Amino acid sequence: MDLITSWMGNIPEFAVPFALAALGLIITEKSGVLALGAEGLMLVGAVIGVGAALTFDNTAVALAIAMIAASIVSLLFALMVLVMRINQVISGLVLVFFCQGLTTLTGTLMGWTNQPVSGLGSIALWPLSELPYVGRFFIQNIVVYLVPLVFVFSVWALNRTTHGLRLRAVGENPQAADAAGISVLGYRLAAIVIGAALIGLAGAFIAVLSNKLWISNMTAGRGWIAVALVIFARWSPWKALAGALLFGCIEALIPQLAASGIKLPQYFVFMAPYAITLGVMVWVAVSKRDISSQPGALGAPFIREERT
Amino acid sequence: MSDFALKRPLMNRRYTLEVRQQMAWPWQALILGVSMLLGLLLSGAILVLAGVPAGELLNEFVILTLFDAQSLKSVLFQASPLIMVGLAGCLAFRARFWNLGLEGQMIFGAVGATAVTIWDIGSPGMRLPLMMVVAMVCGLLWAVTPVLLKLKLQVNEIVSTLMLNYIAINVLLHLMYGPWKDPKDAFPYSPKYDSFELLPELGNGLSLSIPIAIVIALIVLWFVNISRAGLYLRFVDKSPKVAGAVGVPVAKTILIAVLFSGALAGLAGLMVAAGQEGRLTHSFYVGYGFSGILIAFLARNNPIAATCAALLIATLFVSGRSLQVFYQIPFAMVQLIQAVLVICVASSDFFIRHRIRRVQGVD
Repeated sequence: MDLITSWMGNIPEFAVPFALAALGLIITEKSGVLALGAEGLMLVGAVIGVGAALTFDNTAVALAIAMIAASIVSLLFALMVLVMRINQVISGLVLVFFCQGLTTLTGTLMGWTNQPVSGLGSIALWPLSELPYVGRFFIQNIVVYLVPLVFVFSVWALNRTTHGLRLRAVGENPQAADAAGISVLGYRLAAIVIGAALIGLAGAFIAVLSNKLWISNMTAGRGWIAVALVIFARWSPWKALAGALLFGCIEALIPQLAASGIKLPQYFVFMAPYAITLGVMVWVAVSKRDISSQPGALGAPFIREERT
Repeated sequence: MSDFALKRPLMNRRYTLEVRQQMAWPWQALILGVSMLLGLLLSGAILVLAGVPAGELLNEFVILTLFDAQSLKSVLFQASPLIMVGLAGCLAFRARFWNLGLEGQMIFGAVGATAVTIWDIGSPGMRLPLMMVVAMVCGLLWAVTPVLLKLKLQVNEIVSTLMLNYIAINVLLHLMYGPWKDPKDAFPYSPKYDSFELLPELGNGLSLSIPIAIVIALIVLWFVNISRAGLYLRFVDKSPKVAGAVGVPVAKTILIAVLFSGALAGLAGLMVAAGQEGRLTHSFYVGYGFSGILIAFLARNNPIAATCAALLIATLFVSGRSLQVFYQIPFAMVQLIQAVLVICVASSDFFIRHRIRRVQGVD
């Protein structure tokens, strides 16, 4: 009983970073830019979030600064893929390496490692929070409650506004969009920066609100799982949210298993999210659902001068 | 092409970007050199920001590392596993397979070799060759899953190889904190290898791993340039579709290249375990996977260039360790500098392939 109650209470904490990172990735990738740098941008959000929280002692300010920091670092990625036209896979990987080095260095030199931060208090969504078993699911910090709203807004902006239409056009067929007078590079830049802000928030959530401290490389592959999640969700934000909840359930189960006294080799438990991600990738490939939902120009650089 | 650019100039209607057909190689070399230099200057600036006295930089990096016989030896020593992972990256990338699983393959190579030492398989004289074979086979086996998933089901190999890395790391941690932990040691290390299980030193103080690395580099050179599979690999690299159409066994070629890549990564694992550490440790693999990918990228998948790039990265590794000791700068600095170097070199390609020209007569 206690197990289920506390498990339910932990799910949102683990699901939110996946959801935010996947949404950020979807926004970037809808514009045709293959974004593999999520793991690195999450680390930037995490270390800067903790650093700002330690400096200003204000969680809201810390989260905002973390988002801005991730956006600024993503400008480097934008420079690589949009201006220098470097291969998008290499650019994404290099961004991750760069951020892993940079964040470890920043965290150590600034003395932010292992310094606890205060985080945010929980708010109970009253009558839901009184429900048996699942009640704890509805006692969360304010950011968790904002996530569905962010999703609603993003889906609306992507599907129902002119800017969203143009962003998708740029991702599906940049040549046609360019001919229609849409700035391909402009929309791609905006998509990278906005996506990075959400990914940075995901990282800051892990560090500032969930673990309440910074440890180097603390995202532990969650950025890559988010990349897999986007493929699994076929670039649909709602499916990505569902997938994030699923992965949140799995990750939240790990500390529960440890606490319940069931004797399992702990490192095999720790590898479960990665093994499950791999399994999901295989399952998606076997079931061969509609491949067409992938943005048409994903990963292809747009070079007007090389148009044939 | 340029007509189009003239009619619709980019940016502020005064300059336009053109694609260059060809650039003379001395210019290419110059641009590459300048970008490398820029990368090193940026890295130097980062180091100074991190608290290394500017005057000490040259001393620390160049003079102490390259002009001191002992350090030069350690650079060569450090280079051998890096050459292995760099070559492994070259082979996989030539097959258009993003093998980001070098770390996982390295871990399993070293785990396999350590299993041989722990279970005392084979006579002492045959132990080391057996360990090498087992390391290569284990690295190869860890690469089988992602390549088959890619070939049969089109599963994205970037995600699958990375997930397999995290799985391999947890297996390693399980062994190091559990069944294989040396009870005599406070750290999560395996028992020390016996003396005949270590890569021996040659007479001049150089490790056997250096000649092994050179021989393997030559084999890879033969493989990609002379062998039939290497010829097929060039077809696949240029265009898998055309390669398939003219009768090249595309799937088989990719499979061979990626498994070869995994085997080399496994051997790199053995070189670190039996060459440097003398045992299996919980973090021996750190940094090698990334470096292998970056070396292959810097070398444009050319085995000779990869060997040279590995020497450069090895210098970084060795200087990074001394920075860690003398200035308490985390080893992550090495990773950051590698990323900066790669960004600069990759950007140089833009200036080689494009030219910015001023457009006249357009308002």
